[in-house]
Amino acid sequence: MNRVRASLFVLLLATALPASADIAVVVNKDSGISHVSRSDAINIFMGRYRKLPNGHLALPIDLTPLKARFYRALVNKDLATVNSYWARLVFSGEASPPQQLKNEAEVLELISNNANTLGYMDSAHVTSDVHVVLILGE
Amino acid sequence: MSVLRILLISLMLWPLCGPAMARALTEDGSVTLSGFGTLGLLHNSTDEAEFIRDIGQPKGADEGWSARTDSLLGLQMGARLNDELDVVVQGISRYHDTGNFRPELSWAFLRYTPSPAVVLRAGRLGWDVYQLSDSRYVGYAYPWVRPPVDQFGSLQLSHIDGADVTFKHPIGSDMIRLKLYAGRSDSTIFLTDDLEADFDVDKVYGGHLDYETGPWRFRLGYTEVDADIHYAGAPADLIRQYLRIDPDPFFNDMLGIDNLKLYSLGLTYDSGPYQWQAMVNRSHTVGDSDVDSGFVSFGYRVGQWLPFAMFSIVDTSTPGGEDQNAFGQRTYSLGARYDVTPGIALKAQVDRIHVDQPGFLWRNQDQDWGDSWATMFSLGLDFVF
Repeated sequence: MNRVRASLFVLLLATALPASADIAVVVNKDSGISHVSRSDAINIFMGRYRKLPNGHLALPIDLTPLKARFYRALVNKDLATVNSYWARLVFSGEASPPQQLKNEAEVLELISNNANTLGYMDSAHVTSDVHVVLILGE
Repeated sequence: MSVLRILLISLMLWPLCGPAMARALTEDGSVTLSGFGTLGLLHNSTDEAEFIRDIGQPKGADEGWSARTDSLLGLQMGARLNDELDVVVQGISRYHDTGNFRPELSWAFLRYTPSPAVVLRAGRLGWDVYQLSDSRYVGYAYPWVRPPVDQFGSLQLSHIDGADVTFKHPIGSDMIRLKLYAGRSDSTIFLTDDLEADFDVDKVYGGHLDYETGPWRFRLGYTEVDADIHYAGAPADLIRQYLRIDPDPFFNDMLGIDNLKLYSLGLTYDSGPYQWQAMVNRSHTVGDSDVDSGFVSFGYRVGQWLPFAMFSIVDTSTPGGEDQNAFGQRTYSLGARYDVTPGIALKAQVDRIHVDQPGFLWRNQDQDWGDSWATMFSLGLDFVF
């Protein structure tokens, strides 16, 4: 009976909890950056102030399949609102949006080639090629 | 160009429409193409005056439907030379001072970002005189079909040829920005259907201080415009012919718009579904008149819907005198934006306008038109890619 109860409990946990993974903000593993605060990440990805903790200019990357979840987790805005925000900045010539990449392989490649890039990916897919600087829970 | 051509090009660009706003043209993504556009349809209820979006439009929208007032198309190309240098070129086709949709170079500048705290730009730049003023044609960026005419309709310039510098300084999670700019410019505005003023702006300079904290953003700005104005059209010809004097100093004395000082205060609040925006401005002319304007807008996002309400007002005052060039009106707007996909939005809006004195914010108005109501109904389709 106890075993049945225990397995029911595990089943309940399994269906209730881990369905959506977190999003990991990642940098080049040799960049020397250990941590990026949430407000720094907002400043960098929203084009307000693109400075890495090591003082370098930050180059953010968007991963298009994950973009809607990422901005919901970062600034609690839907993609239409984020795009509308960027339309103002782009077409007034104030700032350029993050570079748009289609898959995680491209993100990993760019990050390993440039120490100033900052990207994000599903935390379940993080490899040893990159260093996680911020976890965004959903 | 015409509205029809804008429609055709928009249809051709349709498959591109989406959230990217920076389509890579080269393999490494260093050259990008992006664009924005509006297909706008406006219904004017009154046959007593024609509606204009801004004083650069020589003819207005007559009673009935018009697609000319708000429809436009813009294209931007960006080239990244290295991490610190990039070039941006942008063109726009809209119904403007040439009396047609002839494309115009809106920006062409080199941007230098030596550090995250400093941005320098030189070349042709947007006129960043008020919050929103350098993105006032990017319909996708705001909830309304067009920015409030009472506030933005009498703006004289769209771009400047010069340079600007922006300093940014984070204070905790707040951000303070200072932008300074200077340059020259030219433009044509229409005071009436048959009197145009060609602005040769030899000096335009100013700056603003911007403070962002949490969902709040404040902005305080000042700009001065110094222009040589050449007046053309039937009234100018009559003055030259019958009074035998140069019409330029004559109109400058009368209107006093060859030197302007523009003060502005802007405020936005953007948190979760709430979007508040408010602005007040005073433009002081060398003729000692003031043009005061302002607006307040509130929007609330519910999923793909963004219903909004707005109130705007403009009023002129000349100390110690009746001013026959005065204008004043107030507008009550209600509408909604619907985001079809990320990159495409549909809008509908009703404006109830109480016109005290139409001045040069209307065209072809009846002689005694004033102290009257007019109703505009507008539909818009905005896209970016």
